[in-house]
Amino acid sequence: MAQFRAKKLDLGCFVNIMNIRDHTKRKVFEAHEPERQALRYTIRNTSLPQRTRAQAQLQLSQMHCYTRPTQIRNRCIMGGKGRGVFREFRMARYQFRLNALAGNIPGVKKASW
Amino acid sequence: MAVPASRILDLLKLRASIFQTTFNPTGARLGNKILRQRLRGPALAAYYPRRTATFSDLRKLYPGFETYDEFEEDRLEGVMITKSRGKGAPKKKRTAAESKKFQGKKRR
Repeated sequence: MAQFRAKKLDLGCFVNIMNIRDHTKRKVFEAHEPERQALRYTIRNTSLPQRTRAQAQLQLSQMHCYTRPTQIRNRCIMGGKGRGVFREFRMARYQFRLNALAGNIPGVKKASW
Repeated sequence: MAVPASRILDLLKLRASIFQTTFNPTGARLGNKILRQRLRGPALAAYYPRRTATFSDLRKLYPGFETYDEFEEDRLEGVMITKSRGKGAPKKKRTAAESKKFQGKKRR
């Protein structure tokens, strides 16, 4: 993680070690995504020789875990919570409720029908 | 009427060149679906809002400029209130010995 972390913090929202790590993972994934996709293509191409495919498999498995998209988790930008986060609002349940009742989220009001 | 297979293959090849699709009559797995996927790196990386100008940046750039930072002022007021009640933060221990002085004392 130390090799990937930015020297100057560039998060504008709630700052938490978990948020920093998630942000770092996203940036690292963005940087390495083309390489990962190229390796995946080499692995799945049956017309290439077995040796290159096996080498590509090995190389993909040896890449740093921060390059993997599965490690990325949508966190709450107000509280850093990892669970119960709405995708549209990027906030967890309680923060969403607080902000919605305060009127900070446009177009959200209490439901009644 | 029996059409030779080579003619059909030529037709498929021509069709692929006209409509700019791939030509794969045997259906061999070539992994082209990976190449077709759009990259989602930039979209994922833009999840957390980036840091723009802050009060500390303003204070550094323009030393004489007076700013009123609401959150900072509220925080300092809270600190002053707790200090006036006598509940402020304890004094910082200078040496390791000072910090260990009360560690072993067990409550009876």
